[in-house]
Amino acid sequence: MLLNPINFYSPQTVSEALSLYSSLGECRLLAGGTFLLNSLKLLKKKGMKTVPNIISLRKIAELKGITTDPETLTIKSMTSITDLYNSPHLTDNFAILKKVCRNISTNLIRNMATVGGNLTSRYTWTELGAPLIALDTKMHFVGSNTKEEVTVEEFFNKGAKTNNLLTHLSIKRDKKCQLSYQRVKKLSEVDVPLLGACIRSTLTDERFQQTKVVINSGTVFAKRDIILEEFLNKSEIEESIASEALNHLDLSIYDTRSDDYKKSMFRVCIKNAILELVQRRKKL
Amino acid sequence: MILKINKKLVEVDLKGHETLLEVLRDQLGMTGTKTSCTESECGACTVIINQKAVLSCITLANSLEGDEITTIEGVSEGENLHPVQQSFLDHGAVQCGFCIPGMIMSSKALLDQNHRPTQEDIEYALDGNLCRCTGYLKIFDAIRAAGQKMEEQENKLNSVHLTQTNLINH
Repeated sequence: MLLNPINFYSPQTVSEALSLYSSLGECRLLAGGTFLLNSLKLLKKKGMKTVPNIISLRKIAELKGITTDPETLTIKSMTSITDLYNSPHLTDNFAILKKVCRNISTNLIRNMATVGGNLTSRYTWTELGAPLIALDTKMHFVGSNTKEEVTVEEFFNKGAKTNNLLTHLSIKRDKKCQLSYQRVKKLSEVDVPLLGACIRSTLTDERFQQTKVVINSGTVFAKRDIILEEFLNKSEIEESIASEALNHLDLSIYDTRSDDYKKSMFRVCIKNAILELVQRRKKL
Repeated sequence: MILKINKKLVEVDLKGHETLLEVLRDQLGMTGTKTSCTESECGACTVIINQKAVLSCITLANSLEGDEITTIEGVSEGENLHPVQQSFLDHGAVQCGFCIPGMIMSSKALLDQNHRPTQEDIEYALDGNLCRCTGYLKIFDAIRAAGQKMEEQENKLNSVHLTQTNLINH
């Protein structure tokens, strides 16, 4: 057997899941399974003890689906990456998510992995982290007697730990802002996002405004480069800024363990992301 | 527990920690679905669940009550090969053959939704299925041809249905 024995639970509702979660003691929530089940297999291979109880969220209909209204996009936590990629609701600032989903792992994984699992499995390679921070995404959790709302940025800054159940994400529509996402693949086929950069800015004036720069290094959770944001917010929207911006990086947030290639590719990602925004400004 | 596999209801004895791959092969003797990496990297264990290609090595069988599971054994109709299977043979798309059940399942899931996939669509759908013989080009050709065949078969069926409807109306 690939896995150690487990007690398997498959609740049909969120309240049933919460009740199990609070009563079972040592247990894990199972979303798409693409991370958790592989982790459990690995632990078994190493002869290590694994969690005795698994609560699958797969059959909870209220945790699936994507809805939108003029102001907000709501993504339920058990929505698969494929369903998000295929959603007709990814317009305006939400459109960046389509590009991001396209690059997540493989089709077989995208069909199984969920948005909620991607964010809460404490897997630093989560591809959605950087764009969701740039989009000011809020995460909505429920516990037995509590409700909690935090931004993805706050969640990651606190180590992506929670004892509650993520029900959905909400993102405000912003027709004025533009987003660019650039990433480097480790391999052309099976890959993880070795590194990526997402930049959001409002380009309606001569200067970058309300800019957010979020870096995903793969080895730590996605983080904002505040120094670069401040530099860009003082800068005019022109091509020369893309090179100049590289002298204004907050080097403390980039992965210092990375080799020269990786450091260089970060710079390429950031430069290309800025250039993409400059090009887009020209078309406005 | 009852699973619906290849349109048949099958009773299986589950303790909770069995992957679908293990249940198919070890309990049900359906060895067409291959065991290879067992860590979601290679696609040899691909099956279709509710019309989507997924990895049976990271799917707990216990979580599949009420779902439609299709394995490579359920693709042909008796001795009549599915157009995807026939096309793989016609195009010499099979080398060692180990990856082929997974390739067929991912191809079928794609072509069931889209008979005329672009090269990009095919690469998108098959990016999780690895062929160590690197026979991808013939596989891509086979998929395109199978899509055409499926479209022809569907058109033929539709025209028969239309003729029958006209006859009934008259």
